[in-house]
Amino acid sequence: MQFFSDTVALSRLQFALTAIFHMLWPVLTTGMAIYLIVIEGLWLKTRNLDYYRHARFWSKLYVLNFGIGVATGLPMAFQFGLNWAPFSESVGDFFGTVLGFESTMAFMLEASFLGIMLFGWERVPPVIHFISTILVAFGANLSTFWILSANSWLQTPAGGQFVNGKFVVQDYFQAIANPFMVNSFLHMFFATLETSLFVIGGISAWYVLKQRHAEFFAKSFKVVLAVLIAIAPLQIFLGHLSAEQVYHYQPAKLAAMEAQWKTIPVGTPADWSLLAIPNDRAQRNDWEIKVPGALSYILELKPTLDQPVKGLNEWEPANRPHMIGLIYYSFRVMSGIGIFFAALMIVSVIQWLRGKLTGGAIIQEKWLMRGWIFAAPLGYLAVETGWIVRCVGRQPWIVYGQMRTVDSASHIPPGEVLFSLVGLGSMYSVLLVVTLFFASRIIRKGPNLEIPAPVFGGQPALGLELAQHQQDSRPVEAQQ
Amino acid sequence: MEPLQYFLPQVWFFILGLFLFLYVLLDGFDLGVGILSLTASSEERRSILMTSLGNVWDANETWLILMGGSLFGAFPLAYATILNALYLPAVIMVVGLILRAVSFEFRENADNKLVWNITFGVGSFLAALGQGFALGSVFEGIKVDAAGHFTGGMWDWLTWRSVIVALTLIQGYVLIGSSYLILKTSGELQNTHYKTATIATWTTLAGAVFITVTTPLLSGQARALLFTSPMVFIFGLIPLLGIVLVWLLLQSLKNREENTPLIWTFLLFSVSFIGLGFIIFPNIIPPSVTIYQAAAAMSSLVFMLSFIGFLIPIVLAYNVYNYVVFRGKVVGDS
Repeated sequence: MQFFSDTVALSRLQFALTAIFHMLWPVLTTGMAIYLIVIEGLWLKTRNLDYYRHARFWSKLYVLNFGIGVATGLPMAFQFGLNWAPFSESVGDFFGTVLGFESTMAFMLEASFLGIMLFGWERVPPVIHFISTILVAFGANLSTFWILSANSWLQTPAGGQFVNGKFVVQDYFQAIANPFMVNSFLHMFFATLETSLFVIGGISAWYVLKQRHAEFFAKSFKVVLAVLIAIAPLQIFLGHLSAEQVYHYQPAKLAAMEAQWKTIPVGTPADWSLLAIPNDRAQRNDWEIKVPGALSYILELKPTLDQPVKGLNEWEPANRPHMIGLIYYSFRVMSGIGIFFAALMIVSVIQWLRGKLTGGAIIQEKWLMRGWIFAAPLGYLAVETGWIVRCVGRQPWIVYGQMRTVDSASHIPPGEVLFSLVGLGSMYSVLLVVTLFFASRIIRKGPNLEIPAPVFGGQPALGLELAQHQQDSRPVEAQQ
Repeated sequence: MEPLQYFLPQVWFFILGLFLFLYVLLDGFDLGVGILSLTASSEERRSILMTSLGNVWDANETWLILMGGSLFGAFPLAYATILNALYLPAVIMVVGLILRAVSFEFRENADNKLVWNITFGVGSFLAALGQGFALGSVFEGIKVDAAGHFTGGMWDWLTWRSVIVALTLIQGYVLIGSSYLILKTSGELQNTHYKTATIATWTTLAGAVFITVTTPLLSGQARALLFTSPMVFIFGLIPLLGIVLVWLLLQSLKNREENTPLIWTFLLFSVSFIGLGFIIFPNIIPPSVTIYQAAAAMSSLVFMLSFIGFLIPIVLAYNVYNYVVFRGKVVGDS
């Protein structure tokens, strides 16, 4: 019951809940926006109406997710002031500036051109529509950039110093380009892309498996697979770079990720823990399986360490993260999914090269298609667990090494926070169920393959007349 | 203080005022249409009402996010203190806006559209209500200590005056929503909204008159501000202009004009908004914390201005473009 009268704990829980829930939607839309550019570009280039119909079909799922993303993003914009007033006041000069940039540069662009992207097919020329799609994707990903810059600054504050508890900025560009920024942004950028590609690929695989429009969805499946050849391995590499940065800048977080209680000194091989049962109270692992020497290879590519891996016992309990089990397993789930994705990509590419994905052959690949359906929701899990590692692992700090989370919460009655927590929590539970219901309904209903090319200014905007000249494309009657 | 230390916070006060004004004007008609949709009698009508907002509601709502983000950057103290004081109204507003937004997407895919029409209307109403309470209590003043931190209670925002401000704002949103629908619809549906616009004009006027009269009566600070030269002329002018605009609005509604009601309503909102701005300035947390006390470091204000200030015309331009692309009457989406 003590928990319900603790404003800080309730505020943290509310932030975690709203952030975790909000994340589910933009993860898909920021990545899918890029896919929509590709698919619309293919339409403009090949004049094949199938690509146009793909754009129309996927944008249905896009807009459903986008709407929930906008709705659940709103509490995020106000929550810093509502629940973290001392924090807002203390770091507002920089942190607020960045959030202001995000809304003016990114949100508005995305929101304004979304209308044209969704409803403007017959109101603007195809080129303007294509530019609108590009601007929507640009806005969405610019927003990722600013959020990751702001969050990276919390992890590795730079560009100024705290004077009497208030952060005074000396160099804004240095603060924006703080040590974690580039890597964290790239890791998240590719995370959203990879997640949405596996969602699109998984849904396409479902149709192929069900033999519904198998040929149509083999197209999107291959577009996804082609892009993933580069992205899946790159994402593992970026993840590795991020972990190396954590090793240098946030050793306590690394110790938590590895459930390493005792320091591993320089010049010795470091074992890598594969599985463990961390015991926070006893400050040790009750049980674990280790791979001898593997951690020194993972961190430094050497048999022995040049830099010590500090153990959690180096810090007073008040100065290091808790919930070690959560951080440890979140990290393993995230990395495991990243590796599984790369493996699935490689197997699929091999089948592609063996000609097993062409024509009618793809519907014979039942196990491969099942693998993709299984993979569809995993990206979300990887993103959420990754953020749990990032933000639970940096505790007890809100601004790493500078400002503690306990000192950052608004001094408001716990009842107030409980009210909003229960309100938002119950609403989000309903939202999740309803959104999944409608998303599955869109998928079960399937694409509209009858939809004609858009008509702009009384003329078919693209496609029809050109398709007539292309002897090898599908007959016009089939496209009507 | 250096002249710059006066000038920059004033510039940011103006920019934030502009963002808030655009929000109230644009999402004002979205929320107004939402509230009106609760009274729409058929599925076809409700469908037209929602279609009229489909391409714009998101961009319109984004002005609020722009305001929030920029307030955080330019006046961190005000962002923190005001939101602390208005915790419950802000949560009500957020819940309302979430309901409003998701209803759009759910309705699109639902068989039983009525459920989502109702949540759409209720969400719009709750959002307007939360905003009304917020406006009312900021207007009345927020209890703070010497450092500008909130020291009041959880229910400070709930007073009989803030209830009246909230009701008036809802009426104002209904008015602006009706004027928008007059522009975007035709036939019977348009006819209905000539009626709702006329009723809402009178109810908004009643609330506005009440607030205007009671403000100097109740607040010594407002009296001191209002009845000294040259302010007395400005504040004399605003109600006069307001009355002229109400008369023009009622005339245009009577003559069944299509474009002018929205123009007069916009101007009426502008005049009221400027009036409120003059009463609050130079405070940002009335009644005592000024924009100079609450401002971020000068370097922040300059840095933000150099990016956001540069972007404002561009943002305005593509918003206008969006309206141009989707100009004209809305027809039912069968």
